[in-house]
Amino acid sequence: MADELQVSIPGRLSEVDVVARRVEEFGDAHGLPLPKVYVINLALDELITNVVSYGFGGVPEPEIRITLRREGDALVLIVEDNGQPFDPTREVPTDVTSPLAERPVGGLGLHLVKNFADRLSYEFADGRNRVIVEHDLASASA
Amino acid sequence: MDIEVAEERDADALVLLPVGRLDSANARAFEAIVMERIGAGEQRVVVDFSRLNFISSSGMRVLLLAAKQLHASKGTLVLCSMQDHIHEVFRISGFDQIIPIRDSREAAVAGN
Repeated sequence: MADELQVSIPGRLSEVDVVARRVEEFGDAHGLPLPKVYVINLALDELITNVVSYGFGGVPEPEIRITLRREGDALVLIVEDNGQPFDPTREVPTDVTSPLAERPVGGLGLHLVKNFADRLSYEFADGRNRVIVEHDLASASA
Repeated sequence: MDIEVAEERDADALVLLPVGRLDSANARAFEAIVMERIGAGEQRVVVDFSRLNFISSSGMRVLLLAAKQLHASKGTLVLCSMQDHIHEVFRISGFDQIIPIRDSREAAVAGN
């Protein structure tokens, strides 16, 4: 298998499964630990959900491009879309401590992406959002 | 998108076993099943993760909704048999502080 996985999908949640299978195949081919494959697919599910839910209003042909490659001891995931500009790296307070009855429903997805990533960056260029999520293969957290 | 959910009765608990992935594509289908059972009067619900290998925040949202609904009617939701990397997601989300997580189905059914 090539050292880089590239997948382009229409902007629909039903495509998440397709991408996940491709990432699993990439993980198998490159001997990646299962928890790493999991956090990559988790980041993908959260980022794709976010853009499909909020980013594609008025966009005639929603498209998401996914790139996954190994660079040295890091896994680099790049998610690009042609939706509305949105910076997922900005700080948003997430309530992870209030009791059950008061715990807000939602808003966890990007919290998870940020917590698992070793590095996270964002740019908007040429009409596209570009999110780069890096996971060190050596890091202890999943 | 559909999700396969096995259902078993264990003492007075309803045990739900979602199979495979619980993600943004099928979380609504899972929500419909869980909320239907709670609406029909189930008070002790266990979600057994032994056949689940992926969950995202969309799936966790359904569990939070179910836990809130059961809490409001003095019922309980208990989770069990999670793989370590999934348990880590529940810890980072602070869900492990509000929804009981047990190592085994036996403990989940017995210790509600």
